[in-house]
Amino acid sequence: MKKIFSRCYMAFIFIFMYAPILTLIVLSFNASKSRAKWGGFTMKWYMQLFQDESIMGTLWNTLSIAILATIISTVIGTVTCIGLMYANKRTRAVVMNIANIPMINADIVTGISLMLLFQAMHITTGFGTILMAHITFDIPFVMLSVMPRVKTLNQNTYEAALDLGATPLYAFRKAVLPELWPVIIAGGLMAFTMSIDDFIITYFTKGSGYETLSTLIYSEVKRGIQPEIYALSAIIFITVILLLIMVNVIPKIRSDRKAKRSTRKVIAAVLVICLSVASAGTLTGCGKKTSSGKNGKLYVYNWGEYIDPDLIDQFEEETGIDVVYDMFETNEVMYAKMAQDSSSYDVICPSDYMINKMIQNDLVQEIDYSQVPNASNIGESYWKSSETFDPGNKYAVPYCWGTVGILYNKKMVTEEVNSWDILWDEKYSGQILMQDSVRDALMIALIKNGYSCNTTDDSALEEAAQDLIDQKPLVQAYVVDQVRDKMIGNEAALGVIYSGEAIYTKQENPDLEYVVPDEGTNVWIDSWVISKNSKNVENAHKWINFMCRADVAYKNFEYITYSTPNEAAREMIEDDAIKNSPIAFPDLSKMKTEAYQYLGTDVERVYNDKWMEVKSAD
Amino acid sequence: MNLNRQNKIHNGKKKMIWLSTPYIGWSLLFVVIPLCMVLYYGLTTDTWDFTIANVVHITEPGYMKALIRSVELAIIATVVCFIMAYPLGMILRSMHLSRNGFIITLFILPMWMNFLLRTLTWMTLLEGSGVINGILNVLHLPNIHIINTPAAIVLGMVYNYLPFMILPIYTALSNIDEDLLNASRDLGAGELQTFMKVTFPLSLPGIGSGVTMVFIPALTTFAISSMLGGSKIMLIGNVIEQEFTSLYDWHLGSGISIILMIVIIINMMLNIAFDAKEERQAKSIKGGRR
Repeated sequence: MKKIFSRCYMAFIFIFMYAPILTLIVLSFNASKSRAKWGGFTMKWYMQLFQDESIMGTLWNTLSIAILATIISTVIGTVTCIGLMYANKRTRAVVMNIANIPMINADIVTGISLMLLFQAMHITTGFGTILMAHITFDIPFVMLSVMPRVKTLNQNTYEAALDLGATPLYAFRKAVLPELWPVIIAGGLMAFTMSIDDFIITYFTKGSGYETLSTLIYSEVKRGIQPEIYALSAIIFITVILLLIMVNVIPKIRSDRKAKRSTRKVIAAVLVICLSVASAGTLTGCGKKTSSGKNGKLYVYNWGEYIDPDLIDQFEEETGIDVVYDMFETNEVMYAKMAQDSSSYDVICPSDYMINKMIQNDLVQEIDYSQVPNASNIGESYWKSSETFDPGNKYAVPYCWGTVGILYNKKMVTEEVNSWDILWDEKYSGQILMQDSVRDALMIALIKNGYSCNTTDDSALEEAAQDLIDQKPLVQAYVVDQVRDKMIGNEAALGVIYSGEAIYTKQENPDLEYVVPDEGTNVWIDSWVISKNSKNVENAHKWINFMCRADVAYKNFEYITYSTPNEAAREMIEDDAIKNSPIAFPDLSKMKTEAYQYLGTDVERVYNDKWMEVKSAD
Repeated sequence: MNLNRQNKIHNGKKKMIWLSTPYIGWSLLFVVIPLCMVLYYGLTTDTWDFTIANVVHITEPGYMKALIRSVELAIIATVVCFIMAYPLGMILRSMHLSRNGFIITLFILPMWMNFLLRTLTWMTLLEGSGVINGILNVLHLPNIHIINTPAAIVLGMVYNYLPFMILPIYTALSNIDEDLLNASRDLGAGELQTFMKVTFPLSLPGIGSGVTMVFIPALTTFAISSMLGGSKIMLIGNVIEQEFTSLYDWHLGSGISIILMIVIIINMMLNIAFDAKEERQAKSIKGGRR
C-alpha cells in the first residue's frame, strides 16, 4: 500500500516536471500555428529554425560564453582554493564570504551592480561584459565544489614530491591535481549549467547587437511566440537527455575500473565537441562579417515588427554595410538605452515627443540633408507637423505615422464601437488588451475624461489613474506588439492598437475592425534620427536615404502597412482602396487628434508614478 | 643542507598564497565595488547629494504593494515547493539509491533546459487558446482562466525552482544514519515520533538551504511575472527592472534594490539563527546516541 502510494507520488512529480516539456516537443511538429489545434505533422519549424540566422547566432553566443566562462572560472576558482589553503584562517573566511555574495544575493541586484560598474568604467557592453559577469558568478560555484576537497588534501604528498626534487609545478601536477580532478569537473559542470541558464544578469550586462539565447527568447516572447522556439526547446532537451545517458549509462555497462576512465573520456569528448562547435561558430561569424561589412557597420534601433526584413538584406547588398538591427518595445526603453550609452546605436526611430526629449538632452545630431536627397519624397504636411517637436526639421526624418485606436472583433463585439468607454464595459471582462506604455495608457483615460493627453494637471492625472485602476480587473493583459497576434488569434475582443496594424490584421482575420473613438486620440510620427555619438555617421545617412527611397518605402509599406509619409511611395500603391484608405491615410482635419509633447523631467516622473500605481494595483 | 631544503619548502608554501590574489582582486572589482555603487546610487540624487528619498520611496502605494505582493507570492511558492519536495525526498531516501543515481538526475534534469523556455512552456499551456483549454474543449469541460493571475506566477515559480528544493532536502535526508532511526525505534518510538524527533530535525539544514534557494529567486524574479502575469502583476523585481530599463531612474532603482538587499540579509540572518539552533539539536541527538 505504502509502496503504491510512493510510486504514485513520484509519478505525479515526474508528470508535473516533464509533461509541459513533452507538450512543447509535440507542438514543435504541429503544422498549425495555433496551440490548441493539431494541424498535422510537419518538420517545417525545424527547417525554419536552422535557417534563422539570428537564433543560430545566439546559440553560438550562448555556448561560447558558457564555455569560456566555465574554463576561466574553473581555473581561477581552483587556483584560488589552493592558494587559500596556505592563508591564515581569517583571510580564508573573509575571501570565502565575499565569494559567497553573488550566490546569496539576488540576481537582479548583481546584474544592475555590474551594469553600474561597466557604465562608470566606460566599458562598451557586449561579449566582454557578459563574459566578465558570467565569470564573476561562476567562480563561487567552482570554489564551493573544490574547497572542501582542498581542505582535506594530504599536504605531505606534495612536500614529499618537493623533497624528492620535483619543481613546484611538477609536484602540483603529479601530487595534487589527480586528487582534485573529480571536484574540479563537478564545479566546472555547475558553472556551465549556471552560465547557460542565466537570464537576469545577462539581460543587464548585454550590449547592442549581442544576444544570448535567454535574452532572445525574452524579447521574442514579448513579440509573440513562434513555433520555431518549440523546435529549439525540443532540440535542447534531447541534447541534454543524450548527454545524460552518455555520462550515466555507458560507464555502467563496462566494468567499474574502466568506468572511471571512460567517464572522464566522455566528458573530455563532450568538452572538445562543444569547444570546436563554439569556435567554428565564432569563426564563421567573423568570416561573414568581414565579407559583407566591407564598408563598415551600422547599428539600427527600431520598433519591433517595424520593417520588411528583406530591406535590411537589400541595404546590406547595395551598400556593403553590415547592419546590426535591434528592436525596442517602447520609447521609454529606447531612451533608457540611449541615455546610458548614446554610441550604442547609430540610427534610431523614436516617436515625436521622445525625439524632442532627445534633442533637449543632446542625444541626437543634426542631419546633413545633402546626404539624404530622397528626403524630398516626404510630403510637405509631414515636415510641417514635425516642426512641433523638431523646430527647423534639423534632426528628424519622418518614417511612419498614424493614430491610436481600438481594434475589435465583430463576432465578439456586436454593438457599435465609437467611444473609449467600451474599454470600461464589464461585458468584456478579460477580453480587453491595453498598451503597456505609460503615455498611451494614460492618454486613453485622459481623453475619455475630456482632458488633453499632455495635461500637467494633477487632479486630471489622478482621475485618469483611478479610472485605469478601476479598469484593471477587466484587462486581460498589458501588451505591446502582442496585441496583433492575440487579436488575430481571437484571444481578445478589444485591443488598443496603432492604426498601422489595422490593414494587416484585417487581412489575417476579416472579423477585425479598427476604429478611432469620437472623443479623439493621439496622432504620432516616428522618425529617423542619428545619435549624437554615432561612430558611423555616414552610414547612418545612407540608411535614412535608403529608407526614404520611393521603391523602398513602398515595399516597406506593403509589408508593415503603417501609413507612410512618403508621397512618392504612396503614389505607387496600386490598390485604390488602400491608397485612399481612411484608416491608413485619414483626413486629420475631420478628427480630434493631439500629438504628445515632451513634458519635462518633473511631470514625467508624475506620469511614471501614476502608471506604476496602476500597474501594481490589484 | 637540510635547513636549506626546509626553507625552500617554506618559501614555496608562502608563494602559494599568491595564487589566490588574482581572485581577491577580481572579487573586489566585480563584487564589492559594484555593490558599493548600488549603495552610492541608492543614497544620492541626480546631482549626487546625499538623500534617503530613494529608499523611502518604497512607502509610496504602488511600490509598497509590489513589495508585499512579492513577499507573499514568494512565501506561497516556497511552501508549495517544500510540500511537494519533502515527501519526494523521503521516498527517494527509502529507495536507497546510489548518490549520483539516474533517478536523482532525472529530477534535476529540467534545470538544464533554459529557464525562459521552461517558463514559456506554461505560457503555451495556460493561455486562453492554449493547450490545456484546447484539451478541455475537446472534452466539453469548462475552460480555466489562470493565465495573467498570481496563481499562474506561483505555478511558474514552483515549476522553475522545485529542483532547488528537492536536491538539498534529499541530500540531508539521505545523510541521516539508518542506525539513528533504528535506535529510535528500538527505544520504543513510533514512526511518527521517530520522524518528529529524529528525521525532521536532522533534515533541517537541507530545508534551510532549500528554502533560501527557492525564496530568493522567487522574491526577485521579473521574467516569470511578466511572462505569466501579462504585465498586470508587478513584483518588486519588475519595479527595479522598469526603473533601469524604461523609466531611466537609476537612483530610485538602486534605492529599491537596497530594500531588496535588506530583505535578503534578514532572510540570511534568520537562517543562521535557525542553523545554530538546529546544530545544537542535532548535537543533542547524536550526543544521546553516545
